[in-house]
Amino acid sequence: MGKLKVYADRMSQPSRAVLIFCRISGIDFEEIKVDISKGQHLSPDFTEVNPLQKVPAIVHGSLKLFESHAILVYLASAFTGIADHWYPTELSRRAKINSVMDWHHSNLRNGAVNYVINTTLAPALGRQLNPKAATEAENVLLSSLKTLEDIWLNGDGGFLCNGIQPSLADLSMVCELMQLEVLDERDRSRILSPYKKVLQWIENTRTATNPHFEEVHNILYRAKKKFEQQRARTAETRTGPSNKVDEHLDSICVIWMQSQDKVVLTEGNLCKRQENLTADTHQRKK
Amino acid sequence: MLKVKVYADRMSQPSRAVIIFCKVNGIEFDEIKVEISKRQHLSPEFADINPFKKLPAIVDGRFKLFESHAILIYLASAFPGIPDHWYPADLSRRARVHSVLDWHHLNLRHGAAPFVLHTVLAPVFGLPLNPQAAAAAEKILISSLSKLENIWLKGSGRYLLGGLQPSIADLSLVCEIMQLELVDEKDRERILGPHKKVQQWIESTRNATRPHFDEVHKVLYKVKEIIRAKQSNQGDGVMQSRTKAPLASKM
Repeated sequence: MGKLKVYADRMSQPSRAVLIFCRISGIDFEEIKVDISKGQHLSPDFTEVNPLQKVPAIVHGSLKLFESHAILVYLASAFTGIADHWYPTELSRRAKINSVMDWHHSNLRNGAVNYVINTTLAPALGRQLNPKAATEAENVLLSSLKTLEDIWLNGDGGFLCNGIQPSLADLSMVCELMQLEVLDERDRSRILSPYKKVLQWIENTRTATNPHFEEVHNILYRAKKKFEQQRARTAETRTGPSNKVDEHLDSICVIWMQSQDKVVLTEGNLCKRQENLTADTHQRKK
Repeated sequence: MLKVKVYADRMSQPSRAVIIFCKVNGIEFDEIKVEISKRQHLSPEFADINPFKKLPAIVDGRFKLFESHAILIYLASAFPGIPDHWYPADLSRRARVHSVLDWHHLNLRHGAAPFVLHTVLAPVFGLPLNPQAAAAAEKILISSLSKLENIWLKGSGRYLLGGLQPSIADLSLVCEIMQLELVDEKDRERILGPHKKVQQWIESTRNATRPHFDEVHKVLYKVKEIIRAKQSNQGDGVMQSRTKAPLASKM
């Protein structure tokens, strides 16, 4: 069987989870960068790998696979020497991890992604804030954080489902929460600080997977700095929407909007840019 | 050996998938009805089973579990004699089943469930209909059906991922689509009509799991009749009072 190929963009939260898992588990793989900001996920070559044109995706021998949870579970099962705590063989323990990974899609992921788009990306591009969408997303995000704090992190384990070591679920969901790094610091603090267990859990997961965790998140920290600079510039000029769009930030917006198109399309909360992008995508697909 | 307890409301799509799976595979279980329309899922007793107050949930001995995909996987793994096609032992095939189960949450389910809720079902739960939300959900639903037709049902098999026999993914997703039975016939035809493979796949899954599939869906068909009857009563009312002010909704 050929070497495992992991198609990833490190700005994508689930891509990061797969990369960190491979590294921490000593899985031999080739990372193939798919730069969403450059539309590489729409190329015929990548569509061959994943017809749904999303990252991450893997190729392992004749298997082509996408959806990060399916990938993580496959890797944990197919490679030898993976520590059991990642995806326990004991069925009831495994079921609990499956259960929280299922919950994640419509809850933490849905809330976090939409909140970041509607509070940070839109204003960073001088677009109008959509307060309704931002509020809705914040509600979902806060509700998810509360649920994590009160239910999923119930117990002294330090990881989800009272685990004393991290599972695939911990890695997936902490990578999702890391996205909030790009928010305004006060916002981020306001949202996260009430949740002590969540904060501890993020640290626990980081510690358990360092140095790989930090290394894979480097690109996110760079993006964070750019957003901070942009916010500072906007505050200084106070002239409302800027005509000069920072190309890099623009491309980050593209990343999140194109890869999360399904969760952005709610309640008519599309900003004009998204409509253009969607039209763009349809054009390219034709 | 204690029987598995399955907490379910047959009006809930994922509840139906779990019940049908148990019946088809001869898993002995106690079905415990939790009626959402009567707010039974909000009781303290049920919160003890599932703090998220959602259906389905199972109790196996002292073990409590919720999220229907996790439940289906657990049952397929924990009980002996389940045919391999439901949840293949081969890791690659299994991984593909996982991938469509994962895709489902923010695609088919994310479109179908709110679409039915906001066009038809909301009054059952004392909520107003919401055409704006329905329109947004419809977009996601149609996009998902298109992906099913062109991507997930590609191949010579009649089931997802080119399968020759159904997996838990087929059962889960088909039960979701069945909720569209509640929607106005014209709408249903407009939405489902263009997707021939999808329609064939629904039939195949139904056939593969009969008679349990139809038996478990009976309550859905009953509710469909009730909704139709209400709608035609309203229609009669409007006809009679055409020159008068519009009637307030009877729903």
